[in-house]
Amino acid sequence: MKLELRGVSKSFGGLRAVADVSFTVPDRAIFGLIGPNGAGKTTVFNLITGVYKPDGGTLRFGDRDLARLSPTRIAAAGIGRTFQNVRLFGQLTVRENLLVACEMQKTAHLASALLRLDSHYADEVAMRVRADDLLARFDLTKSADAPATSLPYGSQRRLEIARALIPSPKLLLLDEPAAGMNSAEAIALAAQIRWLRDEFQLSVLLVEHNMRLVMDVCEELHVLDHGETIARGTPAAIREHPRVIAAYLGEEP
Amino acid sequence: MGAASPHRSRALLMALAIAAIVLAIDILLRKLVPDGSVRQLLMLTACNALVAVSLNVINGMAGQFSIGHAGFVGVGAYTAAIVASHLHARFGGGDPTLLRSFLVVPPALLAAAAIAGVAGLLLGLPSLRLRGDYLAIVTLGFAEIFRLTIASAPSGGAPGPLSISRLGGSNGYAGVDGQGVPLYAGPFWILGVAALGCVLAWRLKFSGWGRALRALREDEIAAASVGIDPTRYKVTSFVIAAIGGGVAGALLALMRDGAPVQQPDGFGFLLSFDAITMVILGGSGSVSGSILGAVFVTLSIKAIELAQSTSAVQALRGPHHWGPIELTLDLNALRMIVYAMIVVALMVMRPEGLLGERELFARRTPARGTT
Repeated sequence: MKLELRGVSKSFGGLRAVADVSFTVPDRAIFGLIGPNGAGKTTVFNLITGVYKPDGGTLRFGDRDLARLSPTRIAAAGIGRTFQNVRLFGQLTVRENLLVACEMQKTAHLASALLRLDSHYADEVAMRVRADDLLARFDLTKSADAPATSLPYGSQRRLEIARALIPSPKLLLLDEPAAGMNSAEAIALAAQIRWLRDEFQLSVLLVEHNMRLVMDVCEELHVLDHGETIARGTPAAIREHPRVIAAYLGEEP
Repeated sequence: MGAASPHRSRALLMALAIAAIVLAIDILLRKLVPDGSVRQLLMLTACNALVAVSLNVINGMAGQFSIGHAGFVGVGAYTAAIVASHLHARFGGGDPTLLRSFLVVPPALLAAAAIAGVAGLLLGLPSLRLRGDYLAIVTLGFAEIFRLTIASAPSGGAPGPLSISRLGGSNGYAGVDGQGVPLYAGPFWILGVAALGCVLAWRLKFSGWGRALRALREDEIAAASVGIDPTRYKVTSFVIAAIGGGVAGALLALMRDGAPVQQPDGFGFLLSFDAITMVILGGSGSVSGSILGAVFVTLSIKAIELAQSTSAVQALRGPHHWGPIELTLDLNALRMIVYAMIVVALMVMRPEGLLGERELFARRTPARGTT
C-alpha cells in the first residue's frame, strides 16, 4: 500500500517542527527520510503513527485517512514502527513482547479467557506459533524466556523490529535503526532491511543518520531541514545537491 | 480442540467438588463454629478478599490508582439489599432459608454487579482517557458523593416510590418497611462467590489480557504501536474492578450473622483506604497477595476491636488530661495512623509490597504459554 503525505504541518507552541511536507512512499519501496538533528524526522514518524495529530495537510495510507485514526487503529491499518530509543516492554520476557503484539489478531473475547474455553487455548497456541516463528527468524529463540532488558543492545533492536512485524504491517517505519552500531554492523543492516522488505512484503520508511547506510539501501530520499523539505530524489542526486551539502556541512559564510 | 477436553472435565469435577464442600460448610458451620462472631469474621474476611482482589485489577494489574473503591462496594451493597428485601417481601417474609437463597441471592448479585459496572463505565470512560491522577480524584469524589447523597437524604415523612429517602438517610436502609434486610448469604454464597472472584482474577492475570496490561504499564506508546488500545484496556479493567467491588458489597449486605441495616457511613473513605492497604501490603498486581493483605487487615481490625474492649485497655482509656489537652486512648483511631505509616514506609522501602507481582503457589510464571 502507498503512503501519501500532502502539505503536512505541525507546530509545538511557536516552533514549526514540520512545515508543508509532502512525499509518497510507493508500495514495496525503501524510502529514506533524512536531515540534520532537529529536522523534524521523528515528528513526521509520530504524525504518521498518530502519536501527534497534524495541524494541517493530509496523511493517507491506501484509502485510510491517518489523521482521523488513533495510534491503535493506525497499527491495525498496517503500519508498524520502531522507536529512536528502543521501547520494549522491559519487564516482560522476549517472547511475551511478541505475544503482546499478537493480541490484536486474537479472535476470542475476554470472557473466553476467563472461562478458559477452547477458543482461548486455540488463540494461545496460534499466538505462540506466530511468536516463535518470528523469534526463530530473528535469531532470538535462545533468549525467548529472558527479560527483554537483559538482551544486548543489538538484540533489543532486532526484537523491536520483530515485535513491529507481528501484526503483519504493510509499511514499517524504522527510526534510526543503525544508532549505536559500528560501521560493520551498519553495513550488515542494509542487507537486513532489504531482506525485511522482501521477506515480509512491505514498504520501509527509514529515518537514519548513517549516510552510508542510507545511500546504500534507499531507493528514494526526502531531505528535511528545520521542518522544511530541502531536497528529494535518488541517493545519487541527493549526494550532489548543494542545499543538502550546505545543511549537513554548514554554509560557507 | 480435543486436547482440552480431559482438562475441561477435570475442571468441572473440581468446581462441583468445591461447590459441594462449600454447601456442606454452609449447613455445618453453625455446628462447627458455635460462636457467631467467629463465623462473621470468616465471612467478612472472604468479602474483604473479594474487595481487595477486585481493586487489585485496576490498581495493581492496570497500574491506575482508584481511591474510591468503597463507592462501588456501597452501590453493590445498597442494590443487593433493596433487591433482596423486595424479593423477600414478595415471597412472604419469614426466615431466610438456604433453599430460597437460590432465588434471592443470584438476582441480587447480578443487579449489584450490573449497577456497579455501569457506574464504573460512566466514571472510567472520561477519566481514563486522561493521563495521571484524574482517576484518583474522580473515584474519591464518586465514593463521597454516593455516601453523602444517601446520608443527607431527609428521613421520615411519606417518601415517593423512587425517593432517595426510602434508603433511610443516615440511619441506614433496613429493608421494606424497616423490617431488616434479609440475610440470605451464608458461607455457601460468600465463600463460593469470593473463591470464584479470585479464580477469575487469577485467570485474568494469566491471560493475554493480563499480559497486555503489563505491557501498557511498561510503555503505552509502544503498546499502542502494536495495536493495544490503552483506553479500552484501562476502562475495561476498571469496569471489572467496579463489578467485583459491587459483588463484594452485595455479599456484605446480605451476609448471614451480619447487620440487617445498610448504613452509608460503612462505605466511607476508611473502607477505600483499607482496601488500598490490603492491595499494597500484599503486593500490587498479585492476586494471592491481595488475599493475604485482606486476611491480615481484616483480622488485625478484629484483633484491635477485641483489644479495645479488654479491661486493660479500658483502664487506660481515659480521658487523660495533660495541661489543656484531653487525650483518649482509641485503638481504632490509632490503627489508621499505624496503617498509614506502614503504607508510607512500604511505598518508600518496598513499593511492590510483600509479594510484588508474584503469586504464592504459582508454578506458572506470567510467561506461561499454553500447556
